[in-house]
Amino acid sequence: MSQGAGTQDTDDSDPDEGDADYGNAILSGVEAHVVKREEYRCLDAEQVLERQREAVRGVTQVLQVTQDDATQLLRAFKWNVNRVNDEWFGDEEGIREKVGLESSSSAPDEASGMVDDGAEVTCSVCYDEFPASKHTHVGCGHNFCATCWSGYLENAVSDGPSVLDLRCPQEGCKRRVPEPMAKRYLKGESAERLDVFKWRSWVDDNPRVKWCTGAGCEVAVLCHGDRGEGPVDVHCGCGASFCWSCQEDAHRPVDCETVKKWLVKNSAESENMNWILANTKPCPACKRPIEKNLGCMHMVCSQCKFEFCWMCCGKWSEHGERTGGYYACNKYSQSREKEGASEEEKRRAAAKQSLERYTHYYERWAAHGASQTKAAKDLAEMREAKILRLGDLQNTPVSQLKFVLEAMEQIAECRRVLKWTYGYGYYWMEEDGLRKKFFEFIQGDAESTLELLTEAVEKDLEEFFTEEKSLADFADFRGRLTGLTTTVKKYFTTMVTELEEGLPGVGSEVVRAVSLEATPAAEEPPKLRRSARLA
Amino acid sequence: MASKRITKELQDLQKDPPTSCSAGPRADDDIFHWDATIIGPADSPYQGGLFFVAIHFPPDYPFKPPKVNFKTKVYHPNVNSQGSICLDILKEQWSPALTISKVLLSICSLLTDPNPDDPLVPEIAQIYKTDPNRYAELAKEWTRKYAM
Repeated sequence: MSQGAGTQDTDDSDPDEGDADYGNAILSGVEAHVVKREEYRCLDAEQVLERQREAVRGVTQVLQVTQDDATQLLRAFKWNVNRVNDEWFGDEEGIREKVGLESSSSAPDEASGMVDDGAEVTCSVCYDEFPASKHTHVGCGHNFCATCWSGYLENAVSDGPSVLDLRCPQEGCKRRVPEPMAKRYLKGESAERLDVFKWRSWVDDNPRVKWCTGAGCEVAVLCHGDRGEGPVDVHCGCGASFCWSCQEDAHRPVDCETVKKWLVKNSAESENMNWILANTKPCPACKRPIEKNLGCMHMVCSQCKFEFCWMCCGKWSEHGERTGGYYACNKYSQSREKEGASEEEKRRAAAKQSLERYTHYYERWAAHGASQTKAAKDLAEMREAKILRLGDLQNTPVSQLKFVLEAMEQIAECRRVLKWTYGYGYYWMEEDGLRKKFFEFIQGDAESTLELLTEAVEKDLEEFFTEEKSLADFADFRGRLTGLTTTVKKYFTTMVTELEEGLPGVGSEVVRAVSLEATPAAEEPPKLRRSARLA
Repeated sequence: MASKRITKELQDLQKDPPTSCSAGPRADDDIFHWDATIIGPADSPYQGGLFFVAIHFPPDYPFKPPKVNFKTKVYHPNVNSQGSICLDILKEQWSPALTISKVLLSICSLLTDPNPDDPLVPEIAQIYKTDPNRYAELAKEWTRKYAM
């Protein structure tokens, strides 16, 4: 499956159309959990140019100005066509002056650009004398020779996009150098750069559009409606995910402000965190250092075979449904204050506890972040090479193995969401109480649900590479994995929405609502190896 | 282009020197580094002082502005202790049609009329605004100390 095809738009219809067609645009699991607020559109260079042309065409026709003037007006008013029209009809002369356009009343011969006198004139930049016919001005009468014009323009191009606003070289003259004039004196690469600045301006100067943050990606992301306040997760075809509003990594269900605080805190605390950040943990049983090289939290020591949870280092057998409890390692309980402690001890204990509390959330945030990176890497490997091998081994066309990629995309996305639930927890779950209990409950449930999917991909899928398996086995696996992916997707979508709404009216009704939403009986995959503990 | 234009500016300066300042290359073989002197304007606390200024022309002059620095210490809201000058025509308002002679004249007017709303040294700007007499006293003292 192509994630790119899912978010790139191919039609050139009105940019403000409703959400209806986004439903169709959602193909992959990665995007699926944000369907409700998928209010953006990815545009490639050609589409940017087309939208730019469309806006320019509109203004050209309505205001009866040149394309270049229209472009300049649109840039001045942030590519808002309505505002250009309003301002223009409100005070045309004022706008002409502000933007550096020729006054509507100026004589046409003065604006023609050429001086028709044959006398020698001194260029006021190089002080050389030229026949007047070799001099040019931009409608303001300030003449300069061709060499100086090209030097002036080349220099301005090397200064960057500000060349689009370049004024007459005369001191204090506000007349803008029009594009056709600039093009006359710019050669080769410089002329191309001018074109690039011009098309990029539709994004650079447009508050509704931002560049994708992916390295080397030239996709522009248009955000619809009044978005731009809250977080809008963008998933670009290049693989980058980011928040449209704050340009940080995609971070729903957490709001932009909290993310900023959290990231600042992380960089400030990084010294303290260094010891935690070490990539290894000793095996709880044999104390040999263990590196976590798979995304799943279920660890098996390669030496002593002890099975434990990476998060809490506790026995794995105490996790999951076998003990009748959910994953308890997402919980953080404030330790009781010692009785009769002195003031100094209390202060020290408080400081320690505050650091421990932060450490608890940070460690889990970072662990899920690392898993997210790993999941993205696995997905890339699978997409590029392994999927072909799987197709050969199972005698199945690659087009029918989409479910594997969908499952892996879902894992990466879920890791991202889980990561941010810890940022959420740190700021929004400061006091013990029902809300915190409920939050940790759904967080824990989400983690255990995801572990099932991760295990299915990392362990069960691997078996199809290494062992002899029948076609029936594979069909069975396909059904199970597809079902699991759907369940997990649904669960996470519900959780993100609930968290964004701040867990409204926490109580029995909400618990029921989430559980029912997440696990409609019909969606239950037919043969879960371990039944998902969702209800 | 740059050296030709600088040479012409130098010829013009020699032909028709301005009354309040003078300028020329520091060494005969390097036209891009000039030294200039500015006479403290008569109607200012800098009166009687002689201020040395260093001028460096960039290779793409006159499309880029020259770099101009005071070498003499000046007590002024728009000149800092390094001698840097906060003047719009030396930055975003530069035009290739400006000349070094016009720049020096602008610096003279800046000495007469400081621009405390765009200060390089906020402390001096504050004094200039709230206690003009104190500002004049200090500027005179610095002129006596460093520029005479």
